[in-house]
This record gives sequence, structure tokens and C-alpha cells, in this order.
Amino acid sequence: MSIQDLLSPFTAWKNLFRDPVTIQDPFNDRPGSERYRGFHKNDVASCIGCGTCETICQNAAIDMVVGEGEPTGAGDSGLRPRIDYGRCCWCALCVDICMTGSLTMSNAYTWVERDPDAYRFTPGVDKKSWDNAPLGYQRAESHRLAPTQRVTMGEVAPERRIGSFEEIVQGYGVEQARLEADRCVSCGLCIATCPTHMSIPDYIQSVRDGDYEKGLALLYETNPFSNVCGRVCTHKCETVCAAGHEGEPVAIRWLKRHIVDQLPVEKYRRIIGDPKPPTGKRVAVIGAGPAGLTAAFDLAKMGHSVVVYEAREKPGGMFRYGIPEYRLPYDAMDIDIEIITSMGVEIRCHNRVGTDITMEQLHQEYDAVLLSIGLHLGRSTRIAGSDHKGVAKAVDLLRDIADGKSIDVPKQCVVIGGGNVAMDIARSMARLQKSTQGEIRVTVTALEDLDHFLADPEEVKECGEEGIAILDSRGPQEICLDDQGQIIGLRTWGVESIFDEQGRFAPRYNPEDEQIHPADRVIEAIGQQSDVTLLGEALTEKLAWNRGRIAVDGQGRTSEGWLWAAGDCVNGPDVVHAVADGHRVATDIDLMLQKKR
Amino acid sequence: MVYQPDRSQYPQQRADGSLDIDLESGKYLKLWQGPQHPGITGNMSLELTVCGDEVVEAKTHVGYLHRGFEKLMERRTFIQCFPIVCRICVPEPDFNEYCYAAAVEELAGIQPPERSDWIRTLILEMGRINSYLMFLGGQAGSLGLGVVAQWSTYVRDLMLDRFEELTGARIYHMFILPGGVRGDLPEGFQQRMEETLKEIERTLGDIEDVMFCNAVFKKRTVGLGYIDPALFNPYGVTGPNARAGGVAKDVRRDQPYLIYSQLAFEPIVGQDSDVFARADVRRRDLLLSIDLIRQILAGMPKKGPVMAKIPNVLHWKIPPGETYIRGECSRGEYGYYLVTDGSGYPRRVNVRGPSYTHAVALLERLIVHVNISDVAGLMVSLHTYPPEIER
Amino acid sequence: MMRELYKKTKQLFPLGDLTEQRHDLVFVSIPHPFLSSLLRHLRDKEGFSHLVLLTAVDWLERGEFQLTYLLCNRSKAWDMGVRVVLPREGATMESIHTLWPTAATYQRELKEMFGIDFPGSPGVNDDFILEGWDDIPPYRRDFDTLKFAEARFTQRPGRESLDPAQHMAKHHSDGS
Repeated sequence: MSIQDLLSPFTAWKNLFRDPVTIQDPFNDRPGSERYRGFHKNDVASCIGCGTCETICQNAAIDMVVGEGEPTGAGDSGLRPRIDYGRCCWCALCVDICMTGSLTMSNAYTWVERDPDAYRFTPGVDKKSWDNAPLGYQRAESHRLAPTQRVTMGEVAPERRIGSFEEIVQGYGVEQARLEADRCVSCGLCIATCPTHMSIPDYIQSVRDGDYEKGLALLYETNPFSNVCGRVCTHKCETVCAAGHEGEPVAIRWLKRHIVDQLPVEKYRRIIGDPKPPTGKRVAVIGAGPAGLTAAFDLAKMGHSVVVYEAREKPGGMFRYGIPEYRLPYDAMDIDIEIITSMGVEIRCHNRVGTDITMEQLHQEYDAVLLSIGLHLGRSTRIAGSDHKGVAKAVDLLRDIADGKSIDVPKQCVVIGGGNVAMDIARSMARLQKSTQGEIRVTVTALEDLDHFLADPEEVKECGEEGIAILDSRGPQEICLDDQGQIIGLRTWGVESIFDEQGRFAPRYNPEDEQIHPADRVIEAIGQQSDVTLLGEALTEKLAWNRGRIAVDGQGRTSEGWLWAAGDCVNGPDVVHAVADGHRVATDIDLMLQKKR
Repeated sequence: MVYQPDRSQYPQQRADGSLDIDLESGKYLKLWQGPQHPGITGNMSLELTVCGDEVVEAKTHVGYLHRGFEKLMERRTFIQCFPIVCRICVPEPDFNEYCYAAAVEELAGIQPPERSDWIRTLILEMGRINSYLMFLGGQAGSLGLGVVAQWSTYVRDLMLDRFEELTGARIYHMFILPGGVRGDLPEGFQQRMEETLKEIERTLGDIEDVMFCNAVFKKRTVGLGYIDPALFNPYGVTGPNARAGGVAKDVRRDQPYLIYSQLAFEPIVGQDSDVFARADVRRRDLLLSIDLIRQILAGMPKKGPVMAKIPNVLHWKIPPGETYIRGECSRGEYGYYLVTDGSGYPRRVNVRGPSYTHAVALLERLIVHVNISDVAGLMVSLHTYPPEIER
Repeated sequence: MMRELYKKTKQLFPLGDLTEQRHDLVFVSIPHPFLSSLLRHLRDKEGFSHLVLLTAVDWLERGEFQLTYLLCNRSKAWDMGVRVVLPREGATMESIHTLWPTAATYQRELKEMFGIDFPGSPGVNDDFILEGWDDIPPYRRDFDTLKFAEARFTQRPGRESLDPAQHMAKHHSDGS
């Protein structure tokens, strides 16, 4: 100890004249830093109410409540997070996990209220002074708590697949499927959008858990066509997937396919269970397509005896006769049909109602009749020359290919249409050209521009990979013939607009922008309609109609009490919609049969 | 009371080693120090038995801050544990975040990016500075030198500003999470950090003048609370408490984690193993941290990711396993023992805080025969934070 | 290498399998009667002088408690976790406070939080963290914190949450 130790402490006095370091609050504002985790903000317009914030909150501070002015819609539950600041710890995991990035935080951190319940508020809905604060915590771009990229699906390379009708999509392996299933946040927003309301989050969880038997049971609760839908479903669920907002949507369709791929067909029946005891009621179904067979499956499970009348050689309807084999192999479809018949459904092929048996006979013999005849007549453009024998309809050609008939393969062909059927026929033709003449010369002309294409983007992309030329915004004007009356091409004009101001279909063209696409064959793929001649004149007269389609009530019943109608012939083309429709009419028919008892 | 060489009035030991204290005799008094006593670090209390003003026996009572974190974590998913671990140590929460994140990463097989290791190291050293600043204020305050606490609180607040702009929060930063860290350094951070470090250095100079070159402080602390280095292992003494006794225990050097192997430093060691030596080791360790922060900011890779790709945290399952991750916090060895069972929740998390050994068995031993007025100074010198005892 | 240490020690004690978690961290198991002699051996002969922690894991479904004694050899920078399995029913373990006096604190906590007894450990029956606790030891797996909280505390009224999927099933469905 020294004299210095006695004097040194007095140096503290030098601070006597320093300015205070404190801030006089509240007279001087001291804003939080740029990334301060202050009070929550929510952009309610981009919030989808998926509830992921609620799931991750370890304080149970978040409730999902009805957001005023935010209606429930496709991919939006209409709910918005309400936060209880009595529980919140400002950890911002809710911000980090937010699927749309709508939930953020401001840098505001002072808020005084007399009423403690005021601290329970719905950000964005209950207006606050910090709603527009530019500063505050936002998730950094690189900072993600769930993978945003899809697990890549293996596909047969274009060079190889173009030579045959081999299935392109290879399906996920177990590890891949688990990784993809891991991306699902189980919000369930997709369920409402799926026409048949499959329990998507639950079966995805079964993939994560590797419990495929449970997965299959879940699939069969709502869809007896999982082998089919796992391949060719229009997967509207994926368009509303929460993961799709800031990343790629979960590959729901491929995961469904993965479940059915994992189990041998022998196991299916045990998992699905047996039908109920026979009720003695009889139902006739006309058309062995997705809607008819789904209804038949349901009705058979309920114990009714079901006979399906199919005009063609094999069951499957549009699955078999409308979708090329490279997208949906026949044996995959056959598995689903095999299970349906194993439930006691009798399918009578080569049995055309109207010819082999009349509607009246069905009416007499059965307790109920379901009409599910699909759309098997191609529409025509009705342009000059469209009645030429070298002009074909896509549906007819696809059917011939499915039936294994030999096709007169054109050297060069033009497809009119921009939907999935146009892609199907173009790609089928390309395959046939490749295998018969080694060279692909297919052109697709569509009214729509590429941004508004009706076909799935993958279809368009794969067409390009396979060497098919797609010309958008082209309106067909005439089939050009040479002096011998042979087709030499299609003349088109550029499209200026497709719809008029009232939104009606009324395309306007630019005649200056004229092109002739050389071809020795033109294929029309612009839509289909039902062949309703089987009804017979009397019944056609009796039935109520709605714009050329049979009118049905909400349950699929026509104006004739014994006749129901379902599927594409009522709703227009959509695979999974047809399945949903099949369920609906089956329930209604069952209800009626029970009353009759 | 003057020290009595005649010990006859002090309690005898019973056969089992306990003291034969008869409170009815009037010779002894039970005295509760805490849990609200200003000299107590945090909410802990000491049950003192005094004879005159000399302590003859002491018992540590904890539990005032028990929130059952270890148990709560068993009911939370791996990501949900992240916001609560920091609460186990208020003044230096980042070790909880680091140890928990590193343990999860090890068992889940995740490799955080290199740049996140640098940022984690930076944050841990910033936290160490804050913890030491709080200690200096507490150590001086416990002996009546209130001004040091005011100064150290001021510069600690500057460091909190740096924490705020880097992590988005001042106290519970919630920034180090399994997979990396939440964000990169903000624009201009290095320069503002340098200004803060300079201010801390200047303040430390003042503190040295007023506290360490102070006859009163020396008189009261030199020789007080001597820990025999032979007790270090039996009593689990780590960190500055051990280094002040000449044992260079420093996890940063012994088992380098994060990027400590790339930094140039030597553990700060003292000699005398008393209150003064411990305070001085911490002061010098604080200066070392300032130097380390400068090294980190200068040596950090300029670009690169700060977060690894992690699975979807909402159903993150980790295969069965167990591990232990340790780090050198301002009080000694901090560690997380994590057991997983393949589910989405930790099977067991055990937090090893240095205070666990320092504040109970060690303190109860050191405090005997200490004057009541020195009890506060002695216990602060062990630098204990009760929440890590009771978790 | 710790593997050599393990081989060497295995000749003296009935060690279970070696789990090499890291190059500097291993776990071994040993039947509980041999624990204290193993720890003494490791402390005195192998330089594991630092008891890092002592804690328990409740394997309720197996009816067992696992005690983990984590030791550190600072000069070699090695850590070894020694695992002991006890039957959950009436779990009792030999005290090691004579090896490390600080172990008494750990043992006192284990008695309180898990109900594992360490006869002879100083103050093992004294309340540590919980004063006036009358339920089962709370860190056991069968103690339900949520149930405990719900029985003792009331929620502030006014909280209710809707499930997005169920809400949509009621208020929205596309084309069905």
C-alpha cells in the first residue's frame, strides 16, 4: 500500500464536470435499432392465416382469430394471428417461420395502456402507430427455418423418353420423399382447395413417419384413385401451398404417389377393409371413368351391388383414353381399378348403353342410375377446311393410341389448342414420329399467350425439351389445301385479344400478322363435349339442361329422381374434381336408398 | 468486535462434523442475508449463524428464481427451446444460446458456416465484457464504492447498444440458434464497436484508479476469501476463481471451441487467490476480451453465409445420442449436457453453470470465520448468478 | 487416444460399450456397485480430477434412471461421461462426496428433483430449490408440468384460437 493508493481514488472527482450520459426520457425519443425486435406488424393482405406462427410460438402467445375484412378464400384461411403480449417474449420465431413474410416487427418498444387486455391485439387488423415503421426486425434473406426448395424429381431424359411411351416421372425414393415431406408445415390450407378434401397434412406426416399403411388408409378415405391422382392430378392443392409463397410448394402429388408406390397391391385390401354387408340395393353406373368408379367404389363399400356399364374395351374412361401412357402408365391405373372391382363392383365392358341396353331398362332394373360418361367428343374449330379428313380431333387420336390401333403418323403436324390435351396429343405425335420416322415435326398453336397458357407449366416445359414448337397467340383461320386437295398447312393470324370487354369469348386478330404453318395433318384440341345420344329422345326431352350439360342439384341428382350425373360431363374436365363428384353422388344415392328401405 | 484469540466461546464440532450450535445460549444469532440484500448477486440468500460479528456457519438458499427450464425444455421442440435458454443467465445469456445450439448441431449433424462461428465468438466476448462490467460494479458496490457501478453501468449500456444493433435486443439476444446466427454484422458495426471499446478502456482506466489503486479497497479485499488451489478440483472451481489462484484453467485455451484457436491470447492468471486477485484477474480478462474483439473484427472473413441449411424446425427430430458442450464464460466453465431420444423434443437438458459449485459448497466453506461486513464482498468475488444454480 | 484408455480401464473394471461422441468426449457405462472405485481410479490414476457435472436422465418407459458423471482430464483435454443405470423404483446410489465434496450439492438436487437417494451425502435431505414441495419429484418424466400449471393457475379469460383447416372446412371449399 502506498501513498498513491490514498490519493488515486480522488481522481473520481474529475467527472464532476462531465455531461450526463443519460437520455431524458420521455422528452427525448430513443428509437430502437434497425433490427430491433419491437412490436409486431402484419401485412394482413399477404398473410394467409396458415397458423405456422401459432405452431412455433413456445409461449402459446398467438391465437388464430377471424381477421376482419379478410374473407376465407383459396389458400387463405381468413384467420389472422392475435398476439398476447402478456406471454410474448419477442423471440421473433413467428417472424422467422412466417410462410409469406407478412409478419415482421417494428422498432417501437414503448406502449402504455390502462387496460391490460389491450395488450392482446391482432397486428395489422388493430391499427397501431408503428404499423408503418420502416425499421424493425425482418427475417434475413438467408435465414430460413424450413427448406424452400423442392426435392428434385427424377425424370427420364428427353432424348430417351421421346423414343417411347415410357413413364417420364420416376417417383421419389424413401429418403427423397421424407425430405420433401419434411417441408410441409401441416397448416392444412390445401385441404379446402382439394376438390375431394384429402387429408393432405396427415398423409404427408405418414411419409415423414414412414408409416405407409396409415398413409394409404388416409388416401382411401377420400380417393380410390391415388395411383392415378399421384401421377396426373391437377394438384390445385399445390397452388395454394403455404410453402409456395416464399419458395416452391410441397410436391403433394408426388408424395401421394410415393405412398402408393411403397405398398404392394396385395396389402391394399387389408388396409382399406371389407365392404359392409349387402343391402340388396342395385345401382347402375354408366361409364367406368373416375367419377363413375369412385361412386361405384363408395356404393360397393356401403354394401350396395353396383354394375358399371362401359362402352369401350377397358375401364378407366378419360384416365385410359385421354391421358397418354408416358404420364399415366396403364398398370398404375389398373391397380386402382383392381381394388375397386375387388370391393364387388362389376364392370361390364363393351356394353354401350343406348345400344346394348337402354336407359329405360336400367331405370327398371336398378334402384338408381348414375350417368358419368365424361367428355369424349372433340369440338371443332369450324374454320374453313376443318371438315377435311386429314383434320383430326385430339380425343379421337388419343383413344386410338390407347386402344393400340395403328395410327397414320403425319410427317408434319400442327396442333390447335393450348391446354393439357393439346400437349398430350402433341407429345404423343412426337413420340410416334420419333419411332416411325426418326424426326419430330410438331407445332402447337394456341390462342393464349404463354403467360396465360391453360396447360400446366411443366407440360409446356417438357414439350420444349422434346423438340415440339409452341407458338402462342395464334388464331387459326383456315386449313390450307393444295391443288390435289391435300393439307399443306394451317393459316393463322396473331391474336390481339381473346375476350371482349364483357369478358365474353370474342377473339380479335391482326390480319397483317399472318403465318402458314406447314403440315400434312392438323389436330384440333380445343375442348370436348359429352356424347349424350345414349339418353334417347324421350329422356333428353324430360331432363333439365344447363348450357348443353345435364343440370344437376348440389348432390348431383338430375331432374329425374332415379338418375344422377357426375364427373366431367357435368363439371368439365378435371380428374380430381370427378373423384370428388363421385363421392358426393354416392353419398346422395346411399341416402336415397336408405330411405327406400 | 476484535478478533478473539480465545476460541472457547465458539461452537464445538459434533461427532458427525456438524457444529454444535445452541441458539438458546444467546451466543449465536441467525441472520438472513438476502434474498433482497443489495450485496447479494441476484436472488439468493444466505442463512448465516454469527457469533459476534463473525460467521460460524452459512447455508446457501436458492430457488427464488427457479423456473424449471430443464424440465420446460423437455416439453418443447428443439427450436422452441432456443428462446428460453438465454433466460438461465441474465447478465451473460449468450453462453446458453451457444452451448445449446452447438449441442443440437452436434447431435443433428449440422455444420454451421464458418462466418457464424466468428460472429458467435464475437457475441460471446461482448457478453463477457458486459458480465465483467457488472461484476466490477457489484464488487466495488459491495464494499461501499458505489461510483464504480455507475461508470460500469454506463459503458455496459454502450455495449448493449452494440448488442441491440447486432442482435435486435439488449438483454436476451436470442441470436445464436441451431444452424448459425440470425444475421450478419450491420453496416459500420466495426467502427462503432471500436468507439465503444475505447470508451470502455477509458472507463476501465478510471476504475483502476478509483478501485484497484485504493487503499480502502485493498485493505478490505487483500487476503479476504482465500481459496487454497488444492480445493479447486474437489470443489469444481473454474474460470477466474481458479485463474486468480495461479491455475490457468481457461476452456478457450484448454479445449478451443469456435474460432479461439485462431486468436492470439494467453489465459489471464493471478497469484493470491483472494478477493483482490479475483477482481484484478477479471479486470485484466476484460481487457483481453477487448483485444479479442478487435482481433475478431479484423480477422473475420468478409463474406459468407451465417446460417446452415436446417430441416423444417416444426417437426425436427434428432437421432438418439448424448453430448456435452462447454465454453469459458466470465464465471468459469459453462456447459450443456443434452440427451436426445430420436423424438422431436430433448430427452434431457442439464445446464452446468459455474455458480452451481461456486455459490453453494465453496461459498459455504469460505464464509466461515469471515466478518459479517465482508460477506457481501466475498460472495460477489465468486461472481455467482443464481439462475444457473436452480435453472 | 481415449480408446486405449478405455481398453486399459476395461481390464480393471466391467465397463460397458464405449460411445465415442467426439475425439475428446466419450461415454462408458458401468454397473453401479463399481462406480466409486472407477471414479477414484480415474481421478487418481488417469488425471480426471475435475467433476464437471452429475445429473440424471429419467428413462420412464424402461423403468430406469441413468446417472451421468462427467469427468474432465484438463491436461489432456479429455472428457469422459460415466453412465450408471438404476432401477427407477426406490433408486438409491452410493454418494461420492468423499471424492468431490461439491458432489453433495448435485446429490442433494437429484434427491429433490428426481427422488434418487444418496445415503450419507451431507444435507441430502435438506430442501434445495423447492421449499414446501408436496408433489412427486418434479424432474421425473411422469410429473406433468402442464397439468400442474393448469391445476394451480388460471388462464386470463378471452383466449380462443381457431384451426385454419377446420375453419376453412366450414367457411370455404372450392367447387364442392
